[in-house]
Amino acid sequence: MKFIVSSTYLLKQLQVLGGVINNSNTLPILDNFLFDLKQNSLTVSASDLETTMSSVIEVDSDSEGLIALPAKLLLDTLKTFPEQPLTFVVEDNNTVEISSNHGKYALAYADGAEFPKAIELTEPSSTTILGDVLATAINKTIFAAGNDDLRPVMSGVFFQFSPESLTFVSTDAHKLVKYQREDISASEVAEFIMPKKPLNLLKGILAGSESEVKIEYNESNAKFTFDNSELICRLIDGKYPNYEAVIPKENPNVLSISRSQFLSSVKRVSIFSNKTTHQIRLKVAGAELNISAEDVDYSNKAEERLSCAYQGDDMQIGFNSRFLVEMLNNLSSDDVTLEMSLPNRAGILTPADGLDEGEKVTMLVMPVMLNG
Amino acid sequence: MQFDFPLRKIIHVDMDAFYASVEQKDNPELKGKPIAVGGGSKRGVVSAASYEARKYGVRSAMSGYLAQKNCPELIFVKPRFDRYKEISQQIRQVFFEYTDLVEPLSLDEAYLDVTQNKKGNPSATLIAQEIRQKILDKTGLTASAGISINKFIAKIASDYNKPNGQKTVNPEEVLEFLSALDIRKFYGVGKVTAEKMYQLGIFTGADLKKKSLEFLNQEFGKSGQHYYNVVRGIHLSTVKPSRTPKSVGAERTFSENLSSEIFMLERLENIAQELEKRLKKSKLAGKTVTLKIKYSDFTLQTRSKTLPFFIADKSLILDNAKELLYQSPLENSVRLLGISLANLNTETKNKIEDKSITYQLKFDL
Repeated sequence: MKFIVSSTYLLKQLQVLGGVINNSNTLPILDNFLFDLKQNSLTVSASDLETTMSSVIEVDSDSEGLIALPAKLLLDTLKTFPEQPLTFVVEDNNTVEISSNHGKYALAYADGAEFPKAIELTEPSSTTILGDVLATAINKTIFAAGNDDLRPVMSGVFFQFSPESLTFVSTDAHKLVKYQREDISASEVAEFIMPKKPLNLLKGILAGSESEVKIEYNESNAKFTFDNSELICRLIDGKYPNYEAVIPKENPNVLSISRSQFLSSVKRVSIFSNKTTHQIRLKVAGAELNISAEDVDYSNKAEERLSCAYQGDDMQIGFNSRFLVEMLNNLSSDDVTLEMSLPNRAGILTPADGLDEGEKVTMLVMPVMLNG
Repeated sequence: MQFDFPLRKIIHVDMDAFYASVEQKDNPELKGKPIAVGGGSKRGVVSAASYEARKYGVRSAMSGYLAQKNCPELIFVKPRFDRYKEISQQIRQVFFEYTDLVEPLSLDEAYLDVTQNKKGNPSATLIAQEIRQKILDKTGLTASAGISINKFIAKIASDYNKPNGQKTVNPEEVLEFLSALDIRKFYGVGKVTAEKMYQLGIFTGADLKKKSLEFLNQEFGKSGQHYYNVVRGIHLSTVKPSRTPKSVGAERTFSENLSSEIFMLERLENIAQELEKRLKKSKLAGKTVTLKIKYSDFTLQTRSKTLPFFIADKSLILDNAKELLYQSPLENSVRLLGISLANLNTETKNKIEDKSITYQLKFDL
């Protein structure tokens, strides 16, 4: 087995795949990349058992072979090389010899057959979506997903596909995001929960990508195919909570305000809030929004006034400022709308402009109960 | 035995079968007969039973139907609360002759702190005797009393020689008395805690005393310290002249038993409405919501949850009551539902905490 490949090209591909590999593995073989050579096409895979990703790399070769190479050693070596061709030759003594312009390096390889096989999806359904659109959907939702081991379903993003639209939902029980694309659809109704790790990988790879991503899925697994790569992952098992039920239907109090002004006020005022609750108080009356915070323990206090458009009863509501900041940061519109019903019911934050045709973002945040 | 805190002299005075005795005194025909106050209507509840009726197993809070079954000759009398209040006032006058530190628990019982008293009498035992005699002279009714160093022991003691008797637990007897006490009699030990105590091998005060504070804290959380103290004769709760309510509640007995939660929601809403009214009237709010469910077989179940903040409005009360209702399936059809709020904002410790405690609400997912 022998092949020649560009050093920077190989590094770029391996760095992406390296994101799959866990820092510590119970199965030592998972510390490796799997190299599967078939003449000019080298398929490199990485896996953590839950997620397996592979990319096809063009190399110069006329041989075949299947070996597993230690990921860290290989990446550390490749990072140091300026662009140049590298020659990989498998020797008889279970080592691979890499020849560069500078010299020779030998590393031990493991038998490629030991590497866990990627799952084959049986009878999958499928849909396609533009890479950048998928990256945006992930970006808009993933921050709101939970970390609670007791509710594993809520630690992922809920994909809801139908012939009308694609919907992506995440929540940690305090905040909730629903991202909807009515301009894209799936052939049939399907629902599954994607874990965060593969989504973070996809988000990084697909941001700005004009390529089509083919998503295939069945009861237990999903597969994303794009460009020269594919990612297969296990889905989170379980039923996603009925999130629609917690979206308040009647919200008579509607606040419209500049996003950047609102965001910078909240950020500034929250510096003065209690360090554990991060609680800030919004008071709306007429066309004025009053944002205040107080840390009783230290006698720190801040108050700001912003002009806004408001329809509804005068009201007072408390929020964890970190949630508001996360949500306002995640939006990109000029203005936002905050709809409210009661101080103990969720507030609904939506962008007022800057959306694509058929794109819909709904963010919910539960208030903090205020005293006095 | 030494206590490292100043000893007080507390008397717990408890009228014997108060409502029933009042009725028997006012209406001589009822004397010596088994009577029940309240419970006469189809689904009413006995408020009080005379000693004659108690022999047949008639107890207060028992349904009229069951009481009648236990004692076929039982005479039901309509309660006259105004009359009871009037007599209660007379009794309180007697208390005030001795001390102003009187904490009424209800119309027919009260704590008195006679450590310092108007008569300068150093013997709480003798004061208790005098008080009981005066009550008898004035009203013709008998009372029982318990005398000891704190409210907790005084209350248990007043039950010892009932009716028309009293019991003093002297400071040197306190520890022995508590050691021998059944764990179920301890203040704050209900059915569930008793069950847990049993499982930990705690059946009497003596068993409880063997446990370390760390152990009790670990097993019972905040209450651990309380149990640890109480069995050592430490119960520093003072006699509070104007007693503030500990809880506010409302309940309804239904004319027909309800078998499904669906039918209960509307009733629950009415109860929550009534509770809100009562809370508003006394400007109260509470943190602990308790749902009381009485089944058609008269078994009683309470389910409660404590919120980190005060509530007083109907919608929040109702939300929490509903949650408690759906928390576990009903065991039978239901004849009574009640909601109460405890941990009220009258308790000063809550007021202090109140300032810094806020609560992040969650989606109901």
